[in-house]
Amino acid sequence: MMAPNGNAIARLDGLSYWYPNQDEPSLRAVDLEIEPGLTLVAGDSGGGKSTLLRLFNGLVPQFHGGRVSGRAEVAGLDPLRSPIPRLAQRVGLVFQDVETQSVYGSVAREIAFGLENLGVVRAEMRDRVDETMAALGIEGLADRRLSTLSGGERQRVALAAVLVLRPLLVALDEPTSQLDPAGAAAVLAACRRLAAEGRAVVVAEHRLETLGPAADRTLTVEGGRVAAGDAQGGAARGAARATPGYVPRAAARYAAWEMRGVATGPGREAVLADLSLAGGPGEVVALLGPNGSGKTTLLRTLAGLLPPLAGTVRRPAGRTAYLPQNPGALLHLPTVRAEVALTLRRTGSDQRPEAMLAAFGLDRLADRYPRDLSSGERQRAALAATLAGSPTLVLLDEPTRGMDAAARRSLAAAVRALTDRGSAVVLATHDTELAAELADRTIELRGGLATELRAGLATELRGGLP
Amino acid sequence: MTAVPGSGLGADSIEGSAPASEAHAGLASDAGLASGAGLAPRAWLVWSLAAVTVALCTDNPVYRGLVALVALNVLLTWLPPGRRLRPLAVAVTLAAALAALINLLAGHTGADVLARLPDALPLLGGPLTLESLAFGGAIGLGLVAALLSVAPLSLILEPHDVVDAMPAALERTGIAVATSLNLVSGFGRTFTEVRDAQRMRGWKPGGLRSWNEILVPVVLTAIEDSVLLAESMEARAFGAGRRTSYATASFGTREVVVVVAALAAAALFVGLRVAGVPMDWYPYPTLSLPPIQPLAVAGCLGLALPAFRLPAARERCR
Repeated sequence: MMAPNGNAIARLDGLSYWYPNQDEPSLRAVDLEIEPGLTLVAGDSGGGKSTLLRLFNGLVPQFHGGRVSGRAEVAGLDPLRSPIPRLAQRVGLVFQDVETQSVYGSVAREIAFGLENLGVVRAEMRDRVDETMAALGIEGLADRRLSTLSGGERQRVALAAVLVLRPLLVALDEPTSQLDPAGAAAVLAACRRLAAEGRAVVVAEHRLETLGPAADRTLTVEGGRVAAGDAQGGAARGAARATPGYVPRAAARYAAWEMRGVATGPGREAVLADLSLAGGPGEVVALLGPNGSGKTTLLRTLAGLLPPLAGTVRRPAGRTAYLPQNPGALLHLPTVRAEVALTLRRTGSDQRPEAMLAAFGLDRLADRYPRDLSSGERQRAALAATLAGSPTLVLLDEPTRGMDAAARRSLAAAVRALTDRGSAVVLATHDTELAAELADRTIELRGGLATELRAGLATELRGGLP
Repeated sequence: MTAVPGSGLGADSIEGSAPASEAHAGLASDAGLASGAGLAPRAWLVWSLAAVTVALCTDNPVYRGLVALVALNVLLTWLPPGRRLRPLAVAVTLAAALAALINLLAGHTGADVLARLPDALPLLGGPLTLESLAFGGAIGLGLVAALLSVAPLSLILEPHDVVDAMPAALERTGIAVATSLNLVSGFGRTFTEVRDAQRMRGWKPGGLRSWNEILVPVVLTAIEDSVLLAESMEARAFGAGRRTSYATASFGTREVVVVVAALAAAALFVGLRVAGVPMDWYPYPTLSLPPIQPLAVAGCLGLALPAFRLPAARERCR
């Protein structure tokens, strides 16, 4: 047990938690103190990070049920027993997927929702909403509809919606996993500002290279156990992921896929115009660019899911594999193994599911129901199900979203195995580490245009695109 | 833009379907401002309820047609940028056509026989009459009028406007409606994502059972999203007690005029019915012109007041 600290905003004492109908605890005898400042929570997918964050505001165990042992105190309240609406005034939680946590359709109303629930009078409500938006630099968005915001803007609105309640502790679950570098930087700046104001800011993240150096302290959550780490560990781990000496392939002599003079976009509105791109067999092309720049549109057009408004798209003979942004959504069978087997059967492959399961570290999860897995594990299951069956063209949309370091290594290895067999790979990502590690060529989409970045950008990419 | 190396492409290709100039012309952006509902949400709610009352209070196609036209006019006047009327138009047209078809096939009453189906066909066998077709059209027109009347609640108002429109006692119901409206757009997005992903895994639409692969994950995802949303609402103190509203209740002259006209129209139709004035239309056994009451027509036209949009109404406080 840690020595008591009078400065601590949250304190857990020998706390264990079991979800309903689970024999294994998701949190094991956690002793923990959270002080003001920025605390980074790292650890593999399914290790218990999200559960820990939900414990701070009482959602675990009060919303989810289950069993709990030990003691907890957060901002002077007992999160195991205090009503959640009361805890909400002292503890804010921003969830992983900001799109599913919106109640209203416009920015100011969404931010005011918590104040409405607490019965705050209108004049004070307006002052607090304005003040919170100004603090996060989003005052210009007040009248905007949420659906028109970029990922970074939307994440800051979600943060404002909890900050408006003036919590002492703010927890954020993977806030940068869907953001471009600019959006991630804005969220990081907001977190640092909150920490400087004396609040406790707890951030669960896999993208340690961005947040690691800024953190005052790091915790690691593995298998439900929480241990102290060092603040720079994240950056070091992130750098260690890259493969030293990985040499991009020489430009292919012929194209496996090609887009010539393509204009494309959802509906009949082109978000990309006059686009001419191509990629060779065994080549990895990374698409970078801010949220809304058209990366997904380009992938869907290349996959044949979105007919181009103008121009020609050509794909290689054979199967095209496509991993959508929310791949967990496609999983519906009783086990992970059955999902992989379905793709193999459909594509007429004689491959066995076990090879794909092993490649993505899913051996021990093979017989689990995919929707009971953590978001990172689910992502791996979807990747295994998508990439099975030796596709000739592989299209990956944000494949590392929610992935831990081990899963990213599995993904990198799988992509290399595919390219070694001659598959062409196109991946859209905000993960500049991944792009630097895997891509033979990097294309940036911005303002409706595609620009090929010069070769050898790997080092610069790790620092983030401008 | 990048250079295209060599050739050697495979068999699969897609040709663009629209000329480049048209595609370029489509490069547009939505400023994304909140909707331009210049009328107070509660006035919209009253107007919608009154218009539905009128549409369903009679099966006279003249009144129903008038309500449909008025509602369409109002929608076209107030539709915010970026919102599309086409999906609704397609849906109401299909609903009306289906209603007319079902009555034509199953009615079998009327003097003017257009065709005849074999008597051996259960339910459908018998004469297909002009009167059945006309009455089916009137039923369809009622559906169109009713759907167009409630359409402003989803097409013009934001979900939070729906909450504001509800009386205090129904505020929680309003929140439930608002969150449901938010989930509807997510439902469509998930459907597209899952269908695309399954197609790329080799799924092909076949019989009803083949759609399980799409519908099961879409429904499961919708349930998961609902649970996440409930968590998010709890985490922001939903259920703490008596709520207040961020919105300023601005019930001005325009709202009063619209509400009075709408309530008068609804009261007029109910009153005329109660007084025994012939309001309905029954085209059997031979087709006849529907009866028209000038007062009822005036009531329908009164519903058109929101279509007169004053310049000041373009502004909207958040």
